[in-house]
Amino acid sequence: MALLEVHGLTKKFGGLTANDDVSFKVNEGDLIGMLGPNGAGKSTLFNCLAGLYPVTSGHVFFDGHEITDLKSHEVARRGMARTFQVYAASGDLSVVENVMVGCFMRTGSGFKAKDRAKDILKEFKLQHLSDYMLSEIPVAAQKRVTMATAVGTEPKMLLLDEVAAGLNPLEIEEIMTTIRGIHSSMGITVMLIEHVMELVMNISDRVIVLDSGRKIAEGDPKAIANNPDVIKAYLGERYVQEHAEEFK
Amino acid sequence: METLKSTFDFSDFPRLDITVAGAVSVFLLLFPVFPHSAFAMATMIQFLMFSLYGMGWNTIGGYGGQVDLGKAQYVGIGAFTTTVMLIRWDIPFWFSMPIGVCFSVMWSFMLGYPLFRLKGHYFAIATIAASLVLKDIFEVWDFVGAARGLEISPIKYSPPDFLRLLFKEDIYYYYVILAFFFIGILYVNWFRKSRLGFQLRSIKDNEEMAQSLGINAHWAKIKTYAIATAFVSVVGSFHACYIKNIEPEDTMSLDISILIALMAMLGGAGSLWGPIIGAGVLIPLKSYLKEWLGAQVGLVGIDLIIYGAIIMLVSAVEPRGIWGIVEKIRRRKKE
Repeated sequence: MALLEVHGLTKKFGGLTANDDVSFKVNEGDLIGMLGPNGAGKSTLFNCLAGLYPVTSGHVFFDGHEITDLKSHEVARRGMARTFQVYAASGDLSVVENVMVGCFMRTGSGFKAKDRAKDILKEFKLQHLSDYMLSEIPVAAQKRVTMATAVGTEPKMLLLDEVAAGLNPLEIEEIMTTIRGIHSSMGITVMLIEHVMELVMNISDRVIVLDSGRKIAEGDPKAIANNPDVIKAYLGERYVQEHAEEFK
Repeated sequence: METLKSTFDFSDFPRLDITVAGAVSVFLLLFPVFPHSAFAMATMIQFLMFSLYGMGWNTIGGYGGQVDLGKAQYVGIGAFTTTVMLIRWDIPFWFSMPIGVCFSVMWSFMLGYPLFRLKGHYFAIATIAASLVLKDIFEVWDFVGAARGLEISPIKYSPPDFLRLLFKEDIYYYYVILAFFFIGILYVNWFRKSRLGFQLRSIKDNEEMAQSLGINAHWAKIKTYAIATAFVSVVGSFHACYIKNIEPEDTMSLDISILIALMAMLGGAGSLWGPIIGAGVLIPLKSYLKEWLGAQVGLVGIDLIIYGAIIMLVSAVEPRGIWGIVEKIRRRKKE
């Protein structure tokens, strides 16, 4: 059985269908990218998987158990961690304390949590920022801290919600290295939502594309980049018709 | 062992803090030795009591960011449990106090479960309402003396009685509450570094984020609310033996709830020293204002005006209170 299996997941907000019958599988050790234009339902899908929103219909299985109706803290305890797209840091916790909160999920001891948090920060090359408040450090570093915090919960799988949004190319490069590190050296299965095409295309083994709540394509990055449906979703029907020759 | 180490570990504070805290501790220990007026002694006892109320409030209100304006009901539960048990069955303080804590904590679980479904201002309003309802119930409940309240007759139990905590001289009360005060500081020092403490701070930061890190926010809040309640209930029981004459209007009024929250916020919510600083500023102010202005010039309620001004000042200048200002200055110096 795959690590994560989603069967016919549908999420409706009143009359609006945000996710429509989405199904896919994620195997252990995968690094999956999820693409889609604005409003395609990517974040909603993440929120449904992570238990933040109740699902309208469909089933989600994680690590052999059904997690469809679990609350987000229960999903986290099963080993699925996530980051948030917009993180409002009120700044009451320092960087190391933030990571400690994650570590406290697996240990009750403050000393152990602190040691582990320090190790993780070292691995993320953030140890020089340990004692700063989250609001005092650059956005790119903040995003890496939230990733470090999620890793602190010792997850089997990590959902990353637009970690590269608003970063410059150099910072994106840095984030990519971090994600690769989480995936390969820590052995955590990663699924990321991203707007930035090049990031997804560069590091994913497999890409899933959503449009208007439906899954329109799935495959390796190269095939996805040439898929007419995907191009239609991003660039419009006319573009595809005009360039029909190129896709044959 | 590790808990013990964490309880007595203040090493993350700058040396200046520890020096000041040590000096204040020595002063508090020696205060009764120096010549003092009865008025000063009463004020000091009030200061220690309200510091403890504030420390309790600080766990849920400061570290957890859940503004609770209903703490007075637990003062009442503690105070009435101790008084009723003493008068009716001659059960001494050291037995009735833990029983009062049990009642308070049980009540806090029953109340906390629905209350913590609410957020922000709605939560604050609901705590006020709950506290006032309980006060109204006590005011018509004959078993606890209804609106007249209850009186502990010192003649019936001749002091000094260490078991029942009935003394003639305030100095005994002073040292009892001082002991509670130090225990309270040690407990909060442990709490702020504990798993629950971190969970609460994370919830205050961003609740959705906290839940995604495996924290059951609702349950964490209820547990912490019970801890805050236990603090308040213990001091409530002490209050009953100290004052010896309690009625719902005094012990459970909204004034007390607000004063508890106000002191912690003024001193610095979410810091170990904040509630103590807040009580250190407000309690002497309150006592002296009442003594001088309230009685002599007939300016009843001037203290309320001053509290109002303080609330506005704190929220405008530095929402994290006096301790927030201290930390700001330190941060600037570091840079």
